[in-house]
Amino acid sequence: MTTLDERAAVRRPGTDRRPVRARPEHVLIPIALGVIAVLALWWHDTPAVTGFGDWLTNAGRITGLLAGFAAVVLVALMARIPALERGVGTDRLARWHAMGGRYMVGLVVAHALLIIWGYAVTAHTDVVHQTGTLLVSYPDVLMATVAGLLFVGVGIVSARAARRRMRYETWYYLHFYTYLAIALAFAHQFATGADFMTDLAARVLWAGLYIVVGVLLVWYRFVMPVRAAFRYGMRVEGVYREAPGVVSVWVRGRHLDELRAEAGQFFRWRFLTRDLWWASNPYSLSAPPRPDMLRITVKTFGEHSGALSRLRPGTRVFAEGPYGAFTAGRRRRRKVLLLAGGVGITPVRALFETLPAAPGDLTLVYRATDWSDVVFQEELRRIAEIRGATLHYLVGSRRDLGGDPLSPAVLTRILPDLNAHDVYLCGPDGMVNAAKASLRRAGVPRRHIHHESFEF
Amino acid sequence: MKRAILAILGTAAGLVLLLSFKTHPASSSGTAAGTGTGTGTGGDTAAPAPSESSSGSSGTGSGSKKSSASTTRTVTGDTVDTRWGPVQVRVTLKSGKITKVETVQVPHENPRDQEINSFAVPQLNQEALAAQNAQIDTVSGATVTSDGYIRSLQSALDKAGT
Repeated sequence: MTTLDERAAVRRPGTDRRPVRARPEHVLIPIALGVIAVLALWWHDTPAVTGFGDWLTNAGRITGLLAGFAAVVLVALMARIPALERGVGTDRLARWHAMGGRYMVGLVVAHALLIIWGYAVTAHTDVVHQTGTLLVSYPDVLMATVAGLLFVGVGIVSARAARRRMRYETWYYLHFYTYLAIALAFAHQFATGADFMTDLAARVLWAGLYIVVGVLLVWYRFVMPVRAAFRYGMRVEGVYREAPGVVSVWVRGRHLDELRAEAGQFFRWRFLTRDLWWASNPYSLSAPPRPDMLRITVKTFGEHSGALSRLRPGTRVFAEGPYGAFTAGRRRRRKVLLLAGGVGITPVRALFETLPAAPGDLTLVYRATDWSDVVFQEELRRIAEIRGATLHYLVGSRRDLGGDPLSPAVLTRILPDLNAHDVYLCGPDGMVNAAKASLRRAGVPRRHIHHESFEF
Repeated sequence: MKRAILAILGTAAGLVLLLSFKTHPASSSGTAAGTGTGTGTGGDTAAPAPSESSSGSSGTGSGSKKSSASTTRTVTGDTVDTRWGPVQVRVTLKSGKITKVETVQVPHENPRDQEINSFAVPQLNQEALAAQNAQIDTVSGATVTSDGYIRSLQSALDKAGT
């Protein structure tokens, strides 16, 4: 009886919809149009540029406008909009965000310096005096200066080298200062921005853009997760040891089918214990999602993941998601190779079970440096047997295996028709990059290589 | 790193390109009178203000156009509404010669305006005295104010009948 009810629920319009996936161009083209619109605004408002000071000032204006636009775009990329998360992929969004963030910090610095210099040249004063004038007598510029310093600070903190030396959570929470910075920088755009002071329409559009993105942010990063926490009522069901230092956590909840989670996706998990409630970490589903249960599998190298092995059944869980585009939605071809490295097996394990494929069309290659790191051996063997899929282990250090374990030669020996395959690739960054290069050399086109990095 | 350099160079090139399309030579040199007036009326926002009466009333003491050329006259130009606010110029003429130019009003809403005017207005006044007409150069960095100034000055000179 309950099964019948559940089926009826699944058929209900609304839950049966296919998830919406945006493609990269659906994001990049609007961004490009926005840049053109911003430049057009400047073009329209500028009668003529005369003299060196005017050149500097106008260069400062353009970089300022672009920085203001970049701030909105960067926030929108991180607003966890489901269509982007599923279509473009969280890792790619994060890469774009990081790249755009560095560019934006550059724009902010250039904007400040060019405006100071430009104003000083036209006013025939020196830059020090001009900086003082700007800070003291221009409305809201002092606030904007604080904002600029915050942007630079967050930029420095986010630089790759610094991030390694810092706890993920520290970095994550420091990043929230950008919201403060954006808020502080907003006022001076209208109070002193030549393109907005006298142009109500531009002000309305600009403010509208900020408001829309702000609403999206609050909705998808706050309202939806809180709603989900009440709706799904997730709790830890049990913790199981898979291998030394690797544990699986089963989480039970209600109505989980409404999440429309797919194999290959991940959630950001927050376990409400005294030590863990403040940290939210991304872990992939390591089994296909069930209407009542989800499973994650975590390698316990960090402080956070180590504490997971001590979770008690019944612990409350908040899960944000599902996120990630490493799903069947990327599939382009009949034959599929799944290529997993180390703990990258987790989403691959879920795909191995669910990716539609006829017997013989699905191959899993599992790379690990040591047999003690290999997890799910029994599960994988069973899935391979039932589905008529092929399972290959490449285990051992480089030296043991005699050279590159993922060289084109090795891969084509496993799969002679490798270049007729779609490849799903997941693992540590180094392994993913090496494997990607190797696959390209083996003749697999770039658009058939789907990869996800889990180092955001 | 390569990408960073490309981004910097690309942005710089884009900026230079955009700015150079917007660059006009300073509005006129004394000899090329034609271009001077062209730029003067070419400002995009302002229409000549209709406030003739107010400009007439502020002429102090010796306002009549029929008075002989040897007397000192003060003529106030039209109020020109620019993007940043109204600009109005008053000219003092003696025997048909411009002896003094001053501004009745200039934009002063924000510190940028004040800063610009503090150097642009004296320079424009000087240029006008030197040229003895309204075909003067735009001051770099004060395009909008210069535009308004030149047009108001022209209207004042038109009224004076010089």
